[in-house]
Parts: sequence; structure tokens; C-alpha cells
Amino acid sequence: MEKNNDTEKLRTIGYNIFSLCVFLLVWTFVSWLLKSSFFPPPLLVFKTFIELLVEGDIEEVKLSMHVLQSLMRIFGGFGAACILGIPLGLLMGLYGKVYDSTKVIIEPVRFIPPVAWIPIVIVLLVGFFRFVFVIWLGAFFPIYIGTLLSVRGVNPLHIDVPKSFGASRLYIIREIIIPSVLPDILTAMRVGLGIAWECIMAAEMIGGERVGIGIMILKYAQLIRMEAIIVGIVIIGVIGFCLNEIFILVEKRIFRWKEIISI
Amino acid sequence: MGKELIDADVTMKFNNMIVLEEIKFKVHENEFLVIVGPSGCGKTTMANLLAGLLKPTSGHITMKGEEVNPKVHNISIVFQEPSCIPWKTVWDDITMGLKIRGADEKVIGKRCKEVIKMVGLDGFEEYFPKQISGGMKQRVAIARAYATNPDFLLLDEPFGHLDAQTRYLMQIEIMRIWEKEKKTVAFITNNIEEAVYLATRIIIFSKLPARIKGEYTIDLPRPRDLTSQEFLRIRAEITEQCEVVE
Repeated sequence: MEKNNDTEKLRTIGYNIFSLCVFLLVWTFVSWLLKSSFFPPPLLVFKTFIELLVEGDIEEVKLSMHVLQSLMRIFGGFGAACILGIPLGLLMGLYGKVYDSTKVIIEPVRFIPPVAWIPIVIVLLVGFFRFVFVIWLGAFFPIYIGTLLSVRGVNPLHIDVPKSFGASRLYIIREIIIPSVLPDILTAMRVGLGIAWECIMAAEMIGGERVGIGIMILKYAQLIRMEAIIVGIVIIGVIGFCLNEIFILVEKRIFRWKEIISI
Repeated sequence: MGKELIDADVTMKFNNMIVLEEIKFKVHENEFLVIVGPSGCGKTTMANLLAGLLKPTSGHITMKGEEVNPKVHNISIVFQEPSCIPWKTVWDDITMGLKIRGADEKVIGKRCKEVIKMVGLDGFEEYFPKQISGGMKQRVAIARAYATNPDFLLLDEPFGHLDAQTRYLMQIEIMRIWEKEKKTVAFITNNIEEAVYLATRIIIFSKLPARIKGEYTIDLPRPRDLTSQEFLRIRAEITEQCEVVE
């Protein structure tokens, strides 16, 4: 059984590498056909990537600095979203009345895209907090809503079991509600982190700083240097992908009782 | 008959639907009371009321003269639906009741080993519910209910989800445990044969809104023979009683 699983995994990796190679070949071919500086071939993009990594951009800021700065911003925004979203979601889920009576404020805010806040953010906030706020807006709602819905979806029978022994509310929250919602919270966090990362471009478009992956893209957009722009967007995609994969691994590790094979 | 333990006199409504209408009965100590009725007649509601998990719309349920309350009374319930907690191992699940009641670690360990042996789950202590079969899960629920040594044990169609063979074995099992520990039991089912096999007394519920249609005291010798003349006669009589259309 296990051996089959392993060969299956290796095969999947093989297929993915193959797809990637085909994709790069098609890209090279099309760019060779077009011979346009607006459609650089993968090799040129790779060369630019190395240049950006080693020598830095037009202002001599290295690529690693851009990535690091952006990651710090998204973890700032994402962290704030977790710190506020999880407890608030738990609270609103446990006390339905509070949710019902404040719905009119929180629910409409959910539908305002983070980008719509940018003009207000520019006026009210400075520096690091500008970016963090926009990212926080993106990540907060999936985390908050995910937690809230999960609390409301706890199997009432699982609550009745300790209740029938006279358990306190605190015991029920600690032993039943929290373990029951944890997997959903982690999934909500994963979705939130993805959206936070997607918001990096929107956030860094605010400007006012010189470092950040989104800012780097904007710099080269003004110079119409396609190969550097592509380096930027590919990096955003790859980092988002890696963050997601790491999260999935952590989820599988923590919730053994969910993953376990049944007989 | 033993001393009176439970006194129920309730009417239960959900919104405007009357589920239980002036249900009145008593449960005596050491009795094996079986409540039978068609499915969807409010038997589970009755179980939850007896366990103190629901409050009646009007009337009262008292245990030893006091309003029934899981924080005060030592009651256990085995639910109809599979109720193992998915993130708790068999051991953690079965010890839950005693832990909530604040029992001593040593007492918990000793008593839970006993009940695990009683229901034949030794060796499975560290398994999660997902790893064991449906019949085993129900045995976990029964062991959990037994572990606290309850004064009043409620079983709400506990074998409903099991296959016929497992069900039969579990009936023998529950009978053996009851005879050994002489608990007060209220057992809810829609299976008349099961009722006659287990009960010292049977109460028959009508269809919705449930009222008590009849009561039988069964004093056949144990272990009961499912094919004896007397058994079949009582079974037929109760079946007839259940089928009467008002």
C-alpha cells in the first residue's frame, strides 16, 4: 500500500515537471516568433532574476530585500487579522445575540474591497501601517467568518455529551468547541494568508516606500521592462504557492485524528 | 418494586407543535423501564428531558424529589446518534464523565479499566473513533455512560444503528450488565421484541403528539426465550396495542 502511494507521489511530481517544461518551451517558442521586447523569453527572465538577486534593481535594492520587506508587511497584516479575527469569530459564534445585533456594521464592511480603502489609508496612516492595514482588511474577513461559521456548526450532540455529565460552559468551550473548530480556523487562516499575499500589490501601490516586491514591479512598469515585471509577478505566485503548501503540511501534522485511515 | 426515583409529568411544545402531551409516569429504583413508540413520536425529546438537557414547556421532572439537573444528579445517557468525540481517544472519551465530576485520578483509572473490560474494548484505549467500527463506537458510548456509575441510566435507541447480529449481542450484554450492577434504567426503542426481551415494565407512546397509550409489567423469567409461548403472546398484545388507530 505504502509503496504504491510513494510511486504515485513520484509520478505526480514527474508529471508536474513535465508540464512545466512544456509550458516553458511554448513560451520560448512564442517569444521567438514574436521577437518583441514586450514578450521576453524565459531565459532572459531568468537572467534578469539573477541580476536582480545579485546586483539589485535600478536603485540597487536587492531582490531578497524586496521579498523580505513584503513578507514582513503581509505577516504584520496577517498576524493582526488572526489576533482580531479568531477571538472575534469565536465570540460572535458563541454569543449569537451579539452577532445578530452588530451584523449591520460588520457585514457590509466585508464587501468593501481592500483597494477601495486606499484613499482613506493614504490620508490617515503613514509608513508600515498603511500597508499592514490594507493587507489586514484582506485577511481579516475570511478568518473571522471562517471561525464564526465553524463555531455555529459544532455538532450539538458533541456538546450534549459533556453537558449530560454536568460540565461547565468553560469545559465545553475548552474540550469540545475549541478542538472542533481548530481545523476550520487553520483552513480559514490559510485562505486569509493567501488573500493577504494577493493584497500585497494593492497595498504597495499606495507608494511612499522604496522597497517591496510590488514596488519593484511598479518601478519597472514605468520603464516598460517586461522581463523584470515578470520576475516580480512570478515571485509573488511562487511565494504564495509555497506558503499555502507549508500550511497544508502543518494542518495534516496537527490533526492526526482527522487524517487517520478508518477500518 | 423499589423506591420511586423519577417522577415525570410533562408537556413539551416546540414553537406551536405539541410533541409530548401530559406524559405522566414514574421510574422506580432497579427497574428496567422501556418506552416504546413509533419513530418520530418524541421519544428522543423525552430522553433529553429525563437527562435534564431540555426543560419542559410545562410540568416537571424530578429525581429524588428535586428537579432533574445533570449538575446535581448522577445521570448518564447513551444517545441514539453516534456520539463519540472524534478528537478523543477511546480512553479519553470514556474517562470524560468522571473527569467532569472531579473524581480522583486513581478512581478514574480503576473504574474505567473495569468498564472497558466489561464492554470488551480492552486493547483499543488509544484508538480514535474513526479507527473502530460502528458497534464498537456504541460500546464506547455505553462504557462512557456506565463509567460514572449512574443512579439513573438512559438509553435512547442505543442499538438503532447496529446490524441485527450486533444488536442481539448488545442486548444480551446490556442485560448482563444490568443484572450484575442492578441500575435503574430507562430504555427507549421502537422495537417491540427488544422491549419485551429487556423490560421489567413497558410504557407505550402514541404517535405525535405523544401520549401514554398503555403500560405493561413483564415478569417473564430471565434470560428470556424469544420463542416461548408467553413471550410471543405478550409481544403480539403490545404490537396490537401499538397499531390501534385512534
